[in-house]
Amino acid sequence: MIKCVVWDIDNTVLSGVYLESPDRLPDADPVIASVLRELASRGVLHALASRNPPEAADYVRQVTGTSFAAARCGWGSKADAVAAITAELDLTLDAVAFVDDDMIERAEVAAALPRVLVLSPEDAADAASWPQFGPAVVTDEARRRAEMYEQRRRRQAASSKFAGTREEFLRQVGTRVTIAPAVAGDAARLHELSVRTHQLNSSGVPLGAAEFGVLIRAPGRLVVAVRLADDFGDDGLVGAAVTELDDAGTWSVPLVMMSCRALGRGVLDSLLGWLCRSAARAGARELQVPCLVTERNVPMRLALAAAGMRAAAGAAGADGRAIFARSLSGELPPVPDWVTVETVP
Amino acid sequence: MTGAEPAILDDLRQLLVTVTGRPDLGSVAAQTPLFGAGVGLDSLAGTMLLRQVQRRYGVDVAAEDLNLDALETLGSLAAFIAERVGEGPWPEGQGPC
Repeated sequence: MIKCVVWDIDNTVLSGVYLESPDRLPDADPVIASVLRELASRGVLHALASRNPPEAADYVRQVTGTSFAAARCGWGSKADAVAAITAELDLTLDAVAFVDDDMIERAEVAAALPRVLVLSPEDAADAASWPQFGPAVVTDEARRRAEMYEQRRRRQAASSKFAGTREEFLRQVGTRVTIAPAVAGDAARLHELSVRTHQLNSSGVPLGAAEFGVLIRAPGRLVVAVRLADDFGDDGLVGAAVTELDDAGTWSVPLVMMSCRALGRGVLDSLLGWLCRSAARAGARELQVPCLVTERNVPMRLALAAAGMRAAAGAAGADGRAIFARSLSGELPPVPDWVTVETVP
Repeated sequence: MTGAEPAILDDLRQLLVTVTGRPDLGSVAAQTPLFGAGVGLDSLAGTMLLRQVQRRYGVDVAAEDLNLDALETLGSLAAFIAERVGEGPWPEGQGPC
């Protein structure tokens, strides 16, 4: 059972960043505020871990009307903060959940403290209905979603113990990536991904399900859906790319996006490798990915750099985008043999 | 090479071990490519490495280096940091942020 939830502040409990808006401080996120009240009414403790000055914690207390049993504000690691709060409240790590909108912070805490239940804010809103948060009634659906998190925790624990390379781990746990043309039935999930992915999203522009429906049918476009599974569980549709097939010898990819579930599991690298190889096979000479350059999507830029893509220096245009490109001659980034490609035209 | 660079390089090796969970990378050569075979730095480990660098040295590589060429090798990353700080790593918890 979870006895304490440790919350990040910026873009998690608050719908904005505390230090970025000194004139008008951000409000509490209404969904999270109601989760705080609901869990508090069941006797679950709340705590804060944030890279903010201590005043931020006082502000969050006021604006949510919630009391927090502990707060760690500072520049140290969130994993250290969660461990310190757990010790201070005399709890065990299995009884603690951690919620943060930043997937890298979540990954750091999950890697350092694999017994902690690590959640995104979207999932925290749902988690109040999971068995480990002690709701009055547990539905089968809530039990199923809680089990998905349990799978992730088991995978993380196995990964933390594994001594070899990441590649060897992914192979050992039976990682399976499937790349296939998207179909109409994928549009709703693609829309959800385009809204929820920030750190692994090249365009930063959410698209509606209907817009994806149009793209899927459009001639001269290729929308591919990426699915991920391994021996721990099936994560379903975790990513996609929208490609414009240009006759002039360039494949341009206006959207690449990937769920945080795929983070650190070789999926984005595989997709970029596949895009390079498919474009080369189709006779293209260059692959281009226009990418919004922000502080948030650094993980996307890292994946592009790892796939050998570069932008002209100072190339971020007025829209904040830079075009990352690579030649398709010579050695191309690899596609691991656990990637299955279904027929793509 | 500035005087601080060897110390920074040793520090980066330890950070690389932490973010990848691979003790064998504690002795990786300064010229070994970080991307591709060998180290195989991916977006998760790479972002964690850049955040540790920012916390410890106050250097925001991603903000200054659009193409992240500083991440070519640990040697190039150490040089990038040394040019900007000139000193060794900050003591734990005292870096500018």
